[in-house]
Amino acid sequence: MSLEQELKTEQVTHLDLTGFCMVASGTAVQDTLNAMRQHNVNVCIVTAGEHLAGIFTDRDVLGRVATHNDLLTQPIDTVMTPAPITVGPETSAAAALWLMDAKGIRNLPVVDEDGRILGVMTHQAVIHYLAARYPIEVQNRSPHPEQFPRKPEGGD
Amino acid sequence: MTTETLPLTRQDFVSNQTVRWCPGCGDYSILAQVQKTMPDIGFAREDIVFISGIGCSSRFPYYMNTYGIHSIHGRAPTLASGLAIARPDLSIWVVTGDGDGLSIGGNHMIHAIRRNINLNILLFNNRIYGLTKGQYSPTSRHGMVTKSSPMGSVEQPLNPIALALASEATFVARSIDAHTQHLGEVLLEAAHHVGTSFVEIYQNCVIFNPNEWIGLDDRRLRDENILYLKHGEPMIFGKNHDKGIRLNGFMPEVVQLGNGVSEDDLLVHDETSMQLAFIISSMEFPHFPAPMGVIRRVQKQTYTEGLMEQVKAAQAKKGVGDLYELYTSADLWTVTERETVKGKQTGALSLELDDEYMDEMEQKPEETTAMQDQLITPIATLQPRAPVSIDAAASLAKAIRQMNAHRVGCLLVTDKDDRLVGIFTEKDVLMRVVGLVDDLTAVPVANYMTPNPIALTTSLPIAQALYEMSIHGFRHVPLVDDDGRPEGIISFRDVVRRLKQNFN
Ligand code: SF4
Repeated sequence: MSLEQELKTEQVTHLDLTGFCMVASGTAVQDTLNAMRQHNVNVCIVTAGEHLAGIFTDRDVLGRVATHNDLLTQPIDTVMTPAPITVGPETSAAAALWLMDAKGIRNLPVVDEDGRILGVMTHQAVIHYLAARYPIEVQNRSPHPEQFPRKPEGGD
Repeated sequence: MTTETLPLTRQDFVSNQTVRWCPGCGDYSILAQVQKTMPDIGFAREDIVFISGIGCSSRFPYYMNTYGIHSIHGRAPTLASGLAIARPDLSIWVVTGDGDGLSIGGNHMIHAIRRNINLNILLFNNRIYGLTKGQYSPTSRHGMVTKSSPMGSVEQPLNPIALALASEATFVARSIDAHTQHLGEVLLEAAHHVGTSFVEIYQNCVIFNPNEWIGLDDRRLRDENILYLKHGEPMIFGKNHDKGIRLNGFMPEVVQLGNGVSEDDLLVHDETSMQLAFIISSMEFPHFPAPMGVIRRVQKQTYTEGLMEQVKAAQAKKGVGDLYELYTSADLWTVTERETVKGKQTGALSLELDDEYMDEMEQKPEETTAMQDQLITPIATLQPRAPVSIDAAASLAKAIRQMNAHRVGCLLVTDKDDRLVGIFTEKDVLMRVVGLVDDLTAVPVANYMTPNPIALTTSLPIAQALYEMSIHGFRHVPLVDDDGRPEGIISFRDVVRRLKQNFN
């Protein structure tokens, strides 16, 4: 099976969809930043109850907040991207990836039919998938990239 | 006392030694995860020691930029035990394999575990002797055909997890080389445990036993076949979380959830139960999903604690002893030099064997898929974008303005000779700048960048870029020329584009 078919049959929920944090709508920008720092993530999902209200990423920090310290006390809703594009859990990894590419987005929330948040699909999820799918080529590499053993069994 | 104040990164643990494992060996992946975990275990570099015996895995200490001892066959636990008693403040890691740790060093291992000495034992299990070129090991399956068992092994393999449990291990866990996130988590748990931590790591010997972990190291199948153990949670597994482990009398059994079987019927993992741990250790893939994660974890007094209590009690009674006096109190003698004896061997036979073996190695045409071929093509073929650079002395305000103006998430920071000295990304803006710096115009970007970033050259394969992205979570990898000047930058988006061309 080619990688293309694999990514088409692999559901997006089979990827690693972690790597984000959540805050409730109305949270101050400063508190949102603190939450992101504490979890060491660059994506934050803004929730209204169990549902998705918006998304806030380090790109928004750079573009909207970095030079406006006065915004720090405002609610996150003023600087987040409201109602972002989402996909359902049955979506294939391939479809999700092409959607991200076509729309130029790096974070794609996955929600169930009732709009509950299941995770966020990122490029990192696909990178991890590829690394684990091709461990011999990708993961099992020398820490010194320029190093190339001359004999098949290693050594010099 | 620590001499390093900066937070450590994985790079700080990469030594300058040439790594001599076969290309594609699972040891590389384990090495990368151990190096990545070290900054998080809470020890200074000079307080970490790696000790090994003999075997492929035992070359490990050379590749760690920490203290290390490459000791004698099977004896790593003995040296480590002595060190752990003399220096209880250190973080000591024993790296061993199925041959070194279970055959030659089997006894040392079980007694180190039994004594609950504060060690972290990593046993790389590839079920073969790799360094000596492919003989069966104590964990090779019954019937396995190897160089030394051409008609199939007639021996029963031993079960490392059950052995550790029988040795009363206080921490027993299992993971696999190819599942790097899981491995990283398990390593961290092992590091935090006080007492002996025993971790079995399934490892792929790509040369002599490449098919051993099929079904577990394949990304497509692993979530179907691995039971991820979590303390206090029911044993559910499968890609769609639709199967579980139920106890039927004394025997575990695999059940399908639904049709009257609910989560309440399933076994719940309990890290403190020895009985349950033995049941888990008996679950062998493929009859059962392979259990991975922390199997047993209990707190008990360590050997060193017990011993030191006794030493203190004795000293209180009899006063501090004098080691030198004790040492010189009995018979002493002097060792004199003797003539060396010359051997008769010429080495010709082993050369011949080597030739024969090389021929065999060369005859192996490997089939690769289109994707694998893509992964080894040079980064240059992705036609990397030109980078946006900034001078290290420029202000933060200027850096942020530039990023917004060029709509990029990452700047390459250069010195006055245009050499790459750092990288400054939108994540740095989030983590270290906004709301934390009062005047963006007053501070140079150099204070907030990541210094000495990992940079690649365009002749390296695409796989190398994916490797860095996967280990470090980078979204961008800078490219430099031979003089260290920025030449380009690639992101995962460039790789996606390549995938897409390839697919259509
Ligand atoms: S012989 Fe096997 S275990 Fe040893 S380095 Fe080569 S692939 Fe790795």
